[in-house]
Amino acid sequence: MLVALPPFVTYVYGAAMGAFPDVGFVDGSASTYGRIGGALFATAFLTGLVGLFGTVSAATADRYLAFSGFSSGVLFGTRVLVTTGVALVAAAVSLLSLLAFGTDVAAVAPAYLVLVLAGTLYGLLGVVVGALVPRDLEGSLVLVFLADADSFLSGDVLSVDTDLVTLLPLHYPHAMFESAVLDGTVGTGNVAPALAYLAVLAVAAGVAYAAATGRGWSL
Amino acid sequence: MPNIPNQSGEDGREVVLAADGVEKTYSSWLPWEPDVEVLTGASLELRAGEVVGIVGENGSGKSTLMQCLVGAIEPDAGTVSRPDGVGWCPQDDRLYDRLTVDETFRLFGEAHGMTDDAIRDAADRLTDRLDFERFRDRRVDRLSGGNRRKLTLAVSLMHDPGVLLLDEPYTGFDWETYLSFWELAADLAADGTAIAVISHLVSERDRFDRILELRDGRLARSGTQSGASGDHEQLEASADG
Repeated sequence: MLVALPPFVTYVYGAAMGAFPDVGFVDGSASTYGRIGGALFATAFLTGLVGLFGTVSAATADRYLAFSGFSSGVLFGTRVLVTTGVALVAAAVSLLSLLAFGTDVAAVAPAYLVLVLAGTLYGLLGVVVGALVPRDLEGSLVLVFLADADSFLSGDVLSVDTDLVTLLPLHYPHAMFESAVLDGTVGTGNVAPALAYLAVLAVAAGVAYAAATGRGWSL
Repeated sequence: MPNIPNQSGEDGREVVLAADGVEKTYSSWLPWEPDVEVLTGASLELRAGEVVGIVGENGSGKSTLMQCLVGAIEPDAGTVSRPDGVGWCPQDDRLYDRLTVDETFRLFGEAHGMTDDAIRDAADRLTDRLDFERFRDRRVDRLSGGNRRKLTLAVSLMHDPGVLLLDEPYTGFDWETYLSFWELAADLAADGTAIAVISHLVSERDRFDRILELRDGRLARSGTQSGASGDHEQLEASADG
């Protein structure tokens, strides 16, 4: 999936948007906007799945390992490292897909880092979802719905007139990624809220993980 | 005061696990779901070297009691003392599917703070004793149910705990492994390890020093003491409690 999904999604999102050539409020190529959303979705969703499945499938084993002597903090840190590693790979494949399908990326390194950030955000979100909905199917349905809606609504393709979209995990990364690809800049106004979002999700994931592996609760 | 003190306590053997008045109720966040009162004051003392069976009908709270005894869940009331630490073989195999048997030993050995040599020795000894040494390079998700059970049992034993709490330990064992398990348990008990076996069904009651029944959330004596019955009578938790 790490190899196949990002190019597929990036291409399909671009092709889908390209079918609407006269989107009035989009400056530039609609296909490019589609591919940007596709790359973000692929990175976020894949990393989120790892966070989700890591929590769902290994919660009881992690609990047993913690009982055997490892601290829950170490185990959680290891889970975060794994999801970050997957985010690094997924971001690289997604960015390469974007380039391969003819999108000029003005600032490659910042664009890559923003994709990694998006992936890490969803990796943590996957841990939270895995703790609240500790079943593979239901959890992945929640995640795919969230990531799909998020990558679409957080972009500028539709001018959604509500502040609620600022609560979506990809809202700030989407703006930063778009700037990095199209202008070669990363809007500094988006960096702080994106990192704040990351910090909040990290705490939420830590609490959720501790609950899932400590007492095994679920909704 | 424990409601089931060890009747063999007069021999001066050290108490290695003591539970007094353990209570546990599962509460739901949903107002229309009733609370489930599982343990209502279970008490128990285990002394070094004894083998105790704990039986109870399905849903009587045996696994909850086990988790309270090992410290995996906190009781609502009561105390549990385990001065020498415990080994715990849970009812469900809590292993990592993608690790091999040897990797599982290394991971859990590190968690127990064992050295590399000690981990290797324990893995050699236990895989030989439980007869699954030929599967040491195999991934956990490719093991049979019985071999997964052996691995869980071996992991719970590898750090030589003073108390061993086993929840349905021989589910899926073939007859030879079942006998090997009891030979191993007898050796451990002879070396001073206290062993409690929880099961819905206890065969061969003369293998146990005592058998207790979990009924209405409390432990009560069940059957006869070891030696009083030389037969292989099967004690099954009665359906009516």
